[in-house]
Amino acid sequence: MDLFSLAWKNLWRNRRRTLITLAALSLSLMLVQGFHNLSFGVYARMVDSGVRAGSGHIAVYRGDYAQSRNEKLSFAADDLPQKIAALPAVQAVLPRVYLPGLAQSSRESRGILLTGVDPAAELAVNPFLRHQPKEQMLRSADGRDALLGSKLMQELKLGLGDKFVVTVQNRDGELASELFRIRGVVKTGIRDFDRSLVMVGRQRAAAMAGIPGQVQELAVILKRAAAEAATLPQIAGIVAGRPQLHALSWQQAMPNLANAIRLDYSSQQFIFVVILLIVTIGVVNTLLMSVMERIREFGVILAVGASPGRLRRLVLAEALLLGLAALVVGSLLGSLLTWYLVAVGIDLRNYMPDAMEFGGVVFEPVLRATWDIAWMVRIALYVVGLALLASLYPAVKAARISPVEAMRHY
Amino acid sequence: MLFRALRRRFSHLLVLALAVAVPAPARATDLQQLIHDVEQQYMGVSSHSRMEMEVATEHWQRHLTMEAWSLGREYFLVRILEPPKERGVATLKVQHEVWNYLPKVDRVIKVPPSMMGGAWMGSHITNDDLVKANHVDVDYTFTLLAETPQLWRIQGLPKPDAPVVWGKIVYEVGKTPRVPLRIVYYDEAGAQVRQIVFSDVRKIGSRTLPLTMTVQPTDKPDEHTVLHYDTIDFDIGIKTDYFSLQNLKAR
Amino acid sequence: MLLRLALRNIWRNRRRSLLTISAMVVSSSLLILALGVFSGMLADILSSATEQYYGHLVVSRAGYLDDHDLFDAFVPEGDLLGHLRQSPGVLGASPRLRAFGLVSRGQNTYPAELLGVVPAEERQVTNLETHLVAGSYLAPGADAGALLGRGLAAKLGVHPGDELVVVTQAADGSIGNDLLTVRGVFATGDTGHDNGLVLVDLPWLQRLMVLPGQIHEVAVRLKEPLQAARIAAALTPTLPDHLTAVGWESLLPEMREAIASFDVSRMIIVLILYFATGLGILNTFFMSVMERTREFGVLMAIGMRPWRIRLLVLLETLAMGLCSLVAGVGLGLLLSLYMARHGIDLSGSITPITYAGGTLPPRLHAVLETSNVVLPAVLLLVVCLLAGFLPANRAAKLRPVEALREE
Repeated sequence: MDLFSLAWKNLWRNRRRTLITLAALSLSLMLVQGFHNLSFGVYARMVDSGVRAGSGHIAVYRGDYAQSRNEKLSFAADDLPQKIAALPAVQAVLPRVYLPGLAQSSRESRGILLTGVDPAAELAVNPFLRHQPKEQMLRSADGRDALLGSKLMQELKLGLGDKFVVTVQNRDGELASELFRIRGVVKTGIRDFDRSLVMVGRQRAAAMAGIPGQVQELAVILKRAAAEAATLPQIAGIVAGRPQLHALSWQQAMPNLANAIRLDYSSQQFIFVVILLIVTIGVVNTLLMSVMERIREFGVILAVGASPGRLRRLVLAEALLLGLAALVVGSLLGSLLTWYLVAVGIDLRNYMPDAMEFGGVVFEPVLRATWDIAWMVRIALYVVGLALLASLYPAVKAARISPVEAMRHY
Repeated sequence: MLFRALRRRFSHLLVLALAVAVPAPARATDLQQLIHDVEQQYMGVSSHSRMEMEVATEHWQRHLTMEAWSLGREYFLVRILEPPKERGVATLKVQHEVWNYLPKVDRVIKVPPSMMGGAWMGSHITNDDLVKANHVDVDYTFTLLAETPQLWRIQGLPKPDAPVVWGKIVYEVGKTPRVPLRIVYYDEAGAQVRQIVFSDVRKIGSRTLPLTMTVQPTDKPDEHTVLHYDTIDFDIGIKTDYFSLQNLKAR
Repeated sequence: MLLRLALRNIWRNRRRSLLTISAMVVSSSLLILALGVFSGMLADILSSATEQYYGHLVVSRAGYLDDHDLFDAFVPEGDLLGHLRQSPGVLGASPRLRAFGLVSRGQNTYPAELLGVVPAEERQVTNLETHLVAGSYLAPGADAGALLGRGLAAKLGVHPGDELVVVTQAADGSIGNDLLTVRGVFATGDTGHDNGLVLVDLPWLQRLMVLPGQIHEVAVRLKEPLQAARIAAALTPTLPDHLTAVGWESLLPEMREAIASFDVSRMIIVLILYFATGLGILNTFFMSVMERTREFGVLMAIGMRPWRIRLLVLLETLAMGLCSLVAGVGLGLLLSLYMARHGIDLSGSITPITYAGGTLPPRLHAVLETSNVVLPAVLLLVVCLLAGFLPANRAAKLRPVEALREE
């Protein structure tokens, strides 16, 4: 197109200015894309971590267990785990028993939360157990092995291999005690867990409470987090036959985590708006300058018979090309930055202790990005849009030039 | 209440001791059966007593006077008489459940699992001790360690999956009269954690028993709990319905 | 003289100068606003963690804060409280006693933490009063009643006006027990406190626990919470031997890390923002120099040394920078003030969340701090100078003969 080749040539007449503006736009785009992908990656990891240790991407509960945590709200697992695991999007189903109780050693006693799990499934999925050495893992679902939170073991004055007794209140209101032996110790980094976690096989735990075969929670882990929206109704359908059970998404079951992410994201969006605003103003400035310095030339063009509209379109075209160039260069740089952040990431280990808690989940000290192509494309298009927006005023200005005055301009 | 447990313990140990002249691994099954039979024998024995408890810990000294009723291993009721501030506070145990009555607020509180590790009335006896005391024969196997002209020393080792925190318990039982002298509790590593010493042996009616029991934690040698029976009567004819929440609240 | 020339140059090309200045004004004011919002978030995080419960600084026996041992209580001697209240930077001091026990109503019994306070003094240090969802704060005097968390109230099934039974083991080994009237229910968003904390009257708790006249700690509120560690270190030597002062940094180490990482992200943002701004105004400065090539040529021809030309350009950029600074700071302050007073309420879509031991209310607001203004201002000048450097060099390197030939 004639207009565009003219616009392109105009851009490069003042190489330095165009390069600097292009640099500003592209680098801002790159940084914004990189930063967003970094947060995206960090959030995804936090969700992943929280989901696996907590309620899963989707959780099945009875009644209002998600809020009340009333251990009496247990239900028979029956064949639900198999049925749900058969869904293609599901990676694993973790049945869990949670019972408040007392742990006693010969010297001390502490209140604990007895957590009954399916060892094989749990050990494959639970991030707290990721670094657990093989010899410190539970061996069966009904044995007497127990994993203790690190702080708890200390307070009970026990060591690996020592025995202790757990007492819970069973369904009839009576106290039931069982012997367990410390098979391993878990350091989660979350104060509450380290002080009160006793992880055992779920059959043993359920039997103690007089609820054999029952669980308080079915945590469903999906192969991909994005499949949650589609899978939730499927799981709801499977449990529909059991009137007291509900399927909840992780946002509903762990609102703390969901909101922590949302708040952080809002503040980030605020910052991005500010950045783009600043850049846009720079672009307005530049375009205006370029129009101003060509007033004489524009005056001549108008005098020779070109319409004001044409001038307007010319300026818009210049801005569009600039925007597109920035889109290309910026996205390329943004992709490079993202690639680096995915492969290497930002290592904060020197500035932080091993683990930090955020939204109830442990926050990893190495920040890694995840590709969010949809967002990257969107923001790149915004940049083009902003460039066009920025050119509106200068374009109008250009169109309003009166040729006579213009030619008189210096 | 705890004394009842000890009495049962040493009673069946008595039978054990009589039956055994040699260490008895070969006769373990016989011993178990024997103990079990002895247990059955003491179902239904009731008692009513008045006792004093003196507690010395790092932080407090207490002296309590109490009245207690018991029936077999599963039921007992204790009411505090002195000091005046705590008069009327009572504890009821029915099988595995424990309740406390607090006269000042006129309320009954059931002791939840989280409180079971707590000290009973501020002593070295825990709520858990009260509940678990009667399970010794079920949870442990006994062998004769040593014998002297004065006493038998018998070791109890917990059965493989018994829900007990001790690594081992060692009893010293006097021969004449047949009374427990001392019980020592060890953790799994073999370190001594506490001991109970019996003294003040008297004849009450047809039975001979030590009226004073002292609990001593090993890690804190300055601390102890001393339980002493002022009076005790047996076979008083109360039934299980005596041990009720209503009676818990009665003054 | 050079300065006058610089100013006149600026004035001569008003439109361009205005454009440049406006770009810088917007950048700096937005940055001031952004930093203000960050500070707001940080203040919220810190305040939520410390002002609901912990206080900014705590005076207690050494080691008490690790295990909350009942027997680490002490009698505040002399005028400890008065001394604390008069210490520099202290806004309030509240004596407290802490015990653990059971609260019960009907068939329901749950463990709870009992915190004995003097209502009038506790109000000056913590702000549970602002988190009430039912009833009112503790009443002054003997029948103060209890304030409990929403989760605990729900589990017990109590409302303001209902009676609770409190059972605990007192310091003399006896069973402490009494009745309490529920005065109010709070919801902080922190599940630990909402499910386990009961606020009671200090003398009442002292009687219940048989610890007459004793307290475990004094919670202190500071004017500058971020200085807590320093103030604690300065305060400790002035206290009796058995007591130490400890700032929130030690009480909530997770919070300290959270703030440190927050500062890191803030720095990154600031750099990005100024980078964008710098590039934006670079063009303008270049333009202004390039346009006046001929003029510079003349100046050089009549004898002005290159270094003076460079200085001239730098002065121009600096002058514009100063102008923008004034306007930018003004605008930035205005925006920050608005955000500080009103802010953006997000509670429609977000509920309070926990973060490193504190709870964040769902909103964006700003806090005015000197560093939030000084930093952007100084950086602006620095960016100006840097952005002016290249064009200034360019101007200085002109060859008069060629320059004169330019149009």
